[in-house]
Amino acid sequence: MTPDESTQSSASTGTQTTTTDGPLVDQQIDVDTNDARPSAETVIEARHIDVFYDDVQALDDVSIEIPEQQVTAMIGPSGCGKSTFLRSINRMNDLVDAARIEGELLFRGKNVYDEDVDPVALRRKIGMVFQHPNPFPKSIFDNVAYGLRVQDMDVDEEQVVEESLKKAALWDEVKDQLDSSALDLSGGQQQRLCIARAIAVDPEVILMDEPASALDPIATSKIEDLIDDLAEDYTVVIVTHNMQQAARISDKTAVFLTGGELVEFDDTEKIFENPEHQRVEDYITGKFG
Amino acid sequence: MAVDEGSWYGQDSGVSQVRGQLFEAICLLATSVGIVSVLILLLYVTLDAFEPLTADPGWHLVFLLTLVLPATLLAIYYYRSSDPAGEVAYVTTGLPIVGLLLSGGVLVVFAELLAIKEWFALALSLGAVGVVWYAHKRGRPSAVLERFGILILGTAVSVFGLPPTALARVAGLPKRIVSLRELVLELPYLPLSSLQVVATLTLPVAALAGLFVARRRASRRDGVVAAALIVTGALFGPVIDAVVGINGEVWVVLVTMTAVPVAVYIEGVVRRKEGVAGLAFPLVLVGGVAVGTVLVNALGFAGPDVWLDWSYLTSAPSTTPEEAGIYPALVGSVMLLLVIVAMTFPVGVGAAIYLEEYAPSNGLVGKFVTLIEINIANLAGVPSVVYGLLGLALFINFVHLPSGSVIVGGLTVGLLILPIIIISAQEALEAVPDSMRQASYGMGATRWQTTRNVVLPEALPGIMTGTILGLGRAIGETAPLLLVGIAASVGLAPAGFLDLTGAMPRQIFTWAFEPKPEFRYGVLAAGVVTLLAVLLVMNATAIVIRNKYQRE
Repeated sequence: MTPDESTQSSASTGTQTTTTDGPLVDQQIDVDTNDARPSAETVIEARHIDVFYDDVQALDDVSIEIPEQQVTAMIGPSGCGKSTFLRSINRMNDLVDAARIEGELLFRGKNVYDEDVDPVALRRKIGMVFQHPNPFPKSIFDNVAYGLRVQDMDVDEEQVVEESLKKAALWDEVKDQLDSSALDLSGGQQQRLCIARAIAVDPEVILMDEPASALDPIATSKIEDLIDDLAEDYTVVIVTHNMQQAARISDKTAVFLTGGELVEFDDTEKIFENPEHQRVEDYITGKFG
Repeated sequence: MAVDEGSWYGQDSGVSQVRGQLFEAICLLATSVGIVSVLILLLYVTLDAFEPLTADPGWHLVFLLTLVLPATLLAIYYYRSSDPAGEVAYVTTGLPIVGLLLSGGVLVVFAELLAIKEWFALALSLGAVGVVWYAHKRGRPSAVLERFGILILGTAVSVFGLPPTALARVAGLPKRIVSLRELVLELPYLPLSSLQVVATLTLPVAALAGLFVARRRASRRDGVVAAALIVTGALFGPVIDAVVGINGEVWVVLVTMTAVPVAVYIEGVVRRKEGVAGLAFPLVLVGGVAVGTVLVNALGFAGPDVWLDWSYLTSAPSTTPEEAGIYPALVGSVMLLLVIVAMTFPVGVGAAIYLEEYAPSNGLVGKFVTLIEINIANLAGVPSVVYGLLGLALFINFVHLPSGSVIVGGLTVGLLILPIIIISAQEALEAVPDSMRQASYGMGATRWQTTRNVVLPEALPGIMTGTILGLGRAIGETAPLLLVGIAASVGLAPAGFLDLTGAMPRQIFTWAFEPKPEFRYGVLAAGVVTLLAVLLVMNATAIVIRNKYQRE
C-alpha cells in the first residue's frame, strides 16, 4: 500500500506568510509547508453522518475522507460538533445514551457501526487523548501499561512502556520515578503521559480532542512537536480551537461551523490562505465566532 | 460628595450586624440542643456504669496526676504545634483499640463458632481450590468460563464433598466423595492449634503487610524482612503454648490483628518523620494507667465499684445483678454482624454497581430503572418494625427457618440496612470522575475491565465508609429482633447459625424491665456503654477512612 506520489503545487522552503492580499489582512498566520507530506490513502471515511442528542442535531450531513499517516485538524467555533464527530469515529458516543447516529462511518472500508463490529476492538485500533489530562490514580508505569494489560497483549511490558514514554518525549523526565503516582506530574507531563498511554497499544489512528487547550504555552509547544513526530507512524486527527496551532501542525484542515456542518475540508495552506467559502474566510479572520 | 461627620468604619457605619449575629446565635443554640442532649445521656449512662463516686478521693487524685494531667497537657501541646502530631496521636491510640476489637471478634468466633481445627481444614481446602484456580489461570488464561466453573465446583467439592450419585457408582467410585476439609480433619496428627492459626491467618496477613511495606519503601528486601518479622513474632505463640500451656492462639491473633497494623503505621510515621511526637500519646496513656494502678495498690485506695468490668464482659446473664454479664448477647451480636456483612456487602455493592454502571438511563428501561432507584430510597425510610414483620413472614413462616436464630436475625436486619448500603455505594461510584472511565474506554477496555480496574478501586473507600456506618446502625437495631423472636436473654452463646441467640440491644431491652433497680440502672448502663463503645469505634473508623481519602 504505497501512498500516491503527487507533486506539491507550491514547493516552497520555510514558512509562508501572506500580508496584504487575500483574507488574512488583519492576521498573520504562518503556514508551515516545510514537511509537506505526500497525499495518502483514506483511512477513515464519513458518508452523510448525522448525529442527534435526543432531538438536538449535533452533526448535519458530514462527509469527509481522512488520509492516512497525516495530521488532520478540525477547527470551528464552540459547539459546532467537532468533538462529537471525533467521538463518533471510535464509537465513544455509544456511552452516551442520548446519542443517535445515522449515516456511514468507515474505518478501512468497514462501517464501524455495523452489527458485527465490537466497539472494544475498534478502540484498540483507534486511540484517544482527551482535553483534560486524565491519568489513572496509579503509578506512571501502570498508567502506560494499562492498555497492554487490558487488551491482554503478550509483550514485554517494560520495553513497550519505555518506548512509548520515549516517543512521547517524557522518558528522560520520569525514568527514575516510574513507580510514583501519575498524579504528581505537572499538567503538561500528565498530558504527554496520556499520549504515551494511547500509543503504547500501537493503534493505527490517534484522535486528539483539544489536547493542549488546558496547558501553558511551553507545554503546548512540546505537545505540538510531539504530534509532528507521531504522524510519522500514526494517523492523527486533532480537534483544536487554536487556529494558529492548526495551521502549524496539520496537513489537512476541516472547518466545522455552527449547526454541525462541515463547510470546507482541504489542504491546510488552502484553507488558511485562500478558502472557497466566505463563512470560512470570516471565521478565520475573526469576523465572527 | 459631602463628608460625613462620623467615620466610615466603626459602629455608626450604617451596616447593621445585629440580625446576622442573632441568627448565628440561634443556629448555635439549635446545634447545642442536639449535642447537649446526647452528652447528658452519655454522662448519665457512664456514671451509672462506672459509679466513679464510690471510689476513694485518693484514687481519683492519683489517676488525675498520673493519667489525666499528662494526657491533657500533651493534647494541648499537639493542638498548638503545627505538625500532624495530633493526627498521629489519635490514630496510634485508636488503631490498637480497633485491632483489639477485631482480635476479640476473631477469638470469640474461634471460641464459640468454629473450632480452630475446623477453621484450619476449611482454610486448607479453600487454599487448594485457590491453587488449582491460579494454575489454571496461568496455563489457560482465556478459558474464563471454565475457570469460573472450577471455582464454584471446586469450592463445593472441596468443602462439602460429593453426595453419592448414580454416575459415581457406575464409575466405580466409593459411595460418597469425601471433601478435602473432612480429609484434613481425619488426619492422625494435626499441628498445634496455635500453629494452625499461624499458618492460616498470620501467613496471608504477613504476605500482605510485606507487599505493602515493599511498595512503600520501594525495596523488595524490606518487604521480606517485614513479613519475616511478623511471622517470627507470631511464632512466639506456639512457644508460649508449649512452654507455659496458656492459649497460644490468643497471642497469635493479637499479634496478627493488632500488632501488625500498628507496627506498619508506626513504621510509616517514623520513616516520613512527620508528627513523630504523636507516638508519645498512647505511651503516656498506658504509662499513666500502669503507674496509677501501682500507686493506688501501694497506697491502698479503693477503686470505684464498677458495673462494667472484665467479668461483666465474659459472664452470662443471671438473676443476681452483680453476676450478670453480657457475653452471650455479645457473641450473638458478633455473629449477627457476620451474617449481615456476608449478605449486604455483595448484594448491596453489586446492586449499586449495576444501577450506576450498567443500567441504561434512557428509554423505557431507563424509566423503570429510575423507578427502582426511587423505591430503594423509599425503602431506606421504612420503619424497622416493618422489616421485623417482613422477616417474620418471609424467613420464619414461609421458609421455615428456626425462629430467633442467628441467620433469621441477620437476614432481617440485613434487609433493613441494604437500601442504605446501596445508596451510599451508589454515591461513592457516582463520585468517581467520568473522565477516568472515558480514559479507560478510550484504551479499548470493556465495561467490566473499566469497573474493576478504575472505578471500583477509586470508589472503594467511599463504599467502605458507607458500609461501616450502615453496620454501626445494624448492630443497634432492636425492633426487628423483637419480631423475629431473638431471645430476651440467653445463658449460652450460640454455637451455630441456626441456634437461638440473644443480641446486645435485645438484652439491654430486657434489663430495662427487670424489677430489681440494680438491673435497671447498673447492669443496663454497662450494656449501653459496651454497645456505644463498639458503635463509636466503628463510626470513628469510617470517618477516619473517609477523611484520609478525601484529602488525597
